[in-house]
Amino acid sequence: MADKLDVQQGTLALMILKTLEVLGPLHGYGVARRIEETAKHRLTLNYGTLYPALLKLEQEGFITAEWRQSENNRRAKFYALTAAGRRQLAREAREWHQTADLIAAFLAPKREVP
Amino acid sequence: MRYVRAALRRLAGVFTGHRADDELREELQSHLDMETAENIRRGMSPDAARRQALLASGGLTQAAEAVHDQRGLPWIESVVADMKYALRTLRHSPAFTAVVVITLALGIGANTAIFSVVRGVLLKPLPNRNGDRLLYLRHSADGPGQANISFSVPEVRDLRTGVPSLGGIAEYSPWTLTLQSDNDVVRIDVGLVTGNYFEVMGLAPVRGRLTRPSDDGAGVPPVMVLTHAFWIKRFGGDSGLVGRQVKLDGQSVMVIGVLQPAPFFPDRIDALLNMVVSPHHVSAMMVQNRSHRMTEVVARLATGASVAQARTEVAAVDARMRRDFKEAYNPGSHYRIAVLPFKEALGERARLTLWLLMGAAAFVMIISAANVANLTLMRGVRREHEMVVRAALGAGVGRLRRLLLVENFMLTLLGAAFGVVIALGGVRLLISLAARYSPRANEIRLDATVLGFTLALSVTLALLLSFIASLPREGTFASWISAGVRRMSGSLRKQRLQRGLVVGQVAVSVVLLAGAGLLTRTMIRLSEVDSGLRAEEVLALDVPLLQLSGGPSGGSDPMAWFRHLLEMDAAAKQQYERMRSEIRALPGVNEAGLGSSIPLATSMMTFEVKAEARPVPVGEAVPHADVRTASPEYFRASGIPLLRGREFVNTDQPGSGLVVIVNKTFADKFFPGEDPIGKRIAWTGELLKFSPISGDWRTIVGVTGNTRDGGLDAEPRATVFMPFTQMLSIGGALVIRADSNAPGLVAAVTRIVHRIAPMAPIVTVLTVAQIKDQSVAPRRLNAALVSSFGILAVIIAAVGIAGVLAFSVSARTNEIGIRMSLGADRARVQRMILKEGGALLAIGLVLGVAGAYVAGGIIRGLLFGVAPHDPTTFIGVTVLMAAIGIVACWIPALRAARIDPAITMRSA
Repeated sequence: MADKLDVQQGTLALMILKTLEVLGPLHGYGVARRIEETAKHRLTLNYGTLYPALLKLEQEGFITAEWRQSENNRRAKFYALTAAGRRQLAREAREWHQTADLIAAFLAPKREVP
Repeated sequence: MRYVRAALRRLAGVFTGHRADDELREELQSHLDMETAENIRRGMSPDAARRQALLASGGLTQAAEAVHDQRGLPWIESVVADMKYALRTLRHSPAFTAVVVITLALGIGANTAIFSVVRGVLLKPLPNRNGDRLLYLRHSADGPGQANISFSVPEVRDLRTGVPSLGGIAEYSPWTLTLQSDNDVVRIDVGLVTGNYFEVMGLAPVRGRLTRPSDDGAGVPPVMVLTHAFWIKRFGGDSGLVGRQVKLDGQSVMVIGVLQPAPFFPDRIDALLNMVVSPHHVSAMMVQNRSHRMTEVVARLATGASVAQARTEVAAVDARMRRDFKEAYNPGSHYRIAVLPFKEALGERARLTLWLLMGAAAFVMIISAANVANLTLMRGVRREHEMVVRAALGAGVGRLRRLLLVENFMLTLLGAAFGVVIALGGVRLLISLAARYSPRANEIRLDATVLGFTLALSVTLALLLSFIASLPREGTFASWISAGVRRMSGSLRKQRLQRGLVVGQVAVSVVLLAGAGLLTRTMIRLSEVDSGLRAEEVLALDVPLLQLSGGPSGGSDPMAWFRHLLEMDAAAKQQYERMRSEIRALPGVNEAGLGSSIPLATSMMTFEVKAEARPVPVGEAVPHADVRTASPEYFRASGIPLLRGREFVNTDQPGSGLVVIVNKTFADKFFPGEDPIGKRIAWTGELLKFSPISGDWRTIVGVTGNTRDGGLDAEPRATVFMPFTQMLSIGGALVIRADSNAPGLVAAVTRIVHRIAPMAPIVTVLTVAQIKDQSVAPRRLNAALVSSFGILAVIIAAVGIAGVLAFSVSARTNEIGIRMSLGADRARVQRMILKEGGALLAIGLVLGVAGAYVAGGIIRGLLFGVAPHDPTTFIGVTVLMAAIGIVACWIPALRAARIDPAITMRSA
């Protein structure tokens, strides 16, 4: 197994927002599972990282939280995307793509022979 | 927006933390359960599944902490913890806390109270619209009583046309009227104003309307606008008053409105009316004669114009007037016009006194702050061990500094809270003081700005106190701990700072004491001034009977008005004589006299005067004299001594020869070294044309002693008395000498006056002692305030010296023990400590005397009868401070001498 990466500051919020957009309202466990699976288990996401990030998004008004019954009848706190959250996701995704393109373009050229 | 929202939620999180913590625990638990269930589903045993899940979680407690930090504002929570800790420490040293809080409360209280006055009277913007564009013009000339001679209508006209940088010029003429109602009669002070007055002043009505240009001139109905204060005081704020008629000097005047609260200058007034209410003000002599100066001028700067511009233009107009109308401006009198911002004019009389008090209060603050700083420093040394331990447990220097800050904030804020309570009490006293100096005293409030000032003061103090304590650089603690140091005291820097503070305290105390001494001596000198009359049991009352406004034909025919005036005067004189003789017959009355005004009050009229065959040298100011009248008994009743010649007698009648009695100042001025009896003088000048007084020669028959009519601190002015019967009874006063208990006569006298003249207002009833006291009272309050500041300063400074020496003794216990065991006797040890304190005291005294020398010069204008650098005061103050300082040194010195070398050496 490859070395597990710590999730990068700032990217976690984007991952959470995207997860909620794709899967709809979801509890913390679900979000964590989804992110770890998408990352092919190259990321570890412990509670101390995930829950402060969820709380921060909630404080910023991008997601809302609500206690509900889960699919297997457990009480869990479900997080859902707000309209502001959707806009934020679009904005951050666009910025991320631009950055990624830029870095990719930067790293692409081979060493030039003088 | 997003950040604001997040910040607000976090702030809310600080307070809702408990509930959220429970919820979080539940959420984390449910996460853990789901993960465990998933692990079981994948085939793990329940135990292993749970362990695996816990492992992956990264620790529930850590997660809870992390969420907790995200939820609230962690630094607030630790500040709260610091506050709790600080409270606990302060409670454990109640003596320190009490001394610091009381010291600060006194300092902050004094400053808050005085600042509220300074702000209300001097700094606050005027309630007038664009009040900073408002100007006051003052016309003055050389000679006594000529400091503010006001303007004539032609002069105002010249200013209007010649000064484009003044957007509006309004006239305001102070006047008195009698307001009659069904149950009483009162004299009210009013301003007769032009229609543009309120526009220029930038004032609005709270009820009804104000006067406008259509109310100007003759032939319009008289109308009245009440000032807010008078409306409340006299009419209880009755809204139904607007539109009603009131009786003023016998004529019907309609109340058209109530003005917003606003300060007036130069005098407080009750109401404002259009000019027509006084026939005189719309008469030709008033509006056409250049020397008939009865009008105050306020003006508003035109848009874009500056005060400097206005000054230049006014000076040009002034020069032109003096060139074109030589007869109205005697060159020797140096006529001049000053242009002052209205706000400055309002604060004129109060300024020096208030800044003096503010300075004294600031000094008290400096001394208390120095004392608190010293206490904190000493306490800091005792707490060094604690600090070292805290540092060892992981507190960084920043954290320790914050703890100090929190502690000092709590101390100063506590001090400020008590200080505001003190200020609340003090402000009431100060308002009564300020009312004597400023028409804005009613604007004094402990409002948000003042409290903001208090808060800023406390915060600055707390910061100073926290940073004065030196904490070591980061990392140095560790080396101390490893070296086993328990204390790091004895730092020379701190001792030097403490000593410097003590020297400063002594110096500032000396300055304050010297100020207090000078003001107290001023007050004593003032009350010792010979008022010029024997004051014991004399009652004086002002009863003006003659009403100058109103009369038949509304002033359109000056001669008819004059005839009417003479008729009324004859009636008034009879009433006065009846009052006098009935009062004279009262048991206990020794003498009763009549005059134009009560003694020790300024005369209402001043005229130019000349002596026969003695022309005024060219280039000298035209001599003026106060006009007064007196009945034959007036001087005896007042106790004014007759120095030469005779008193008036009953045969001095309108038909007989014109005679006068002059005072000593007059005699010395006109007839130095000669006998003035039999010499002739006459009233003269342009102004005479508009007065009922003739310019005929009058023979001097007597000379009286001087009286202090302009206040006890003013030089007596040249005064000419005319027989009561030979002059129109303008004003009108009764002076009554009793054999005992003059105040006890008030009821009987008032009854007689009311029976004879039911419609007459009694303006003042005072004993002469009271009149005199009124002149001294503001100075007394002044001296008392500065003295109490001085005493406060000395006490605080004495505590400061004793404290610092005591600290020094306790720090040097060991050393002293060694010295004593080596043969130093008690007296020697005591001398050593006394010397240490004495040196500080001496330096402080020298600096203090130097400071007092400067301060004395600054307050020169507030002193009377004592030099600003009065050696007696300075020596007395220095000796007093030295004595108190030595006592303060003695106590720790005695303690040092009692040190038992055996005990100290053993315990070391």
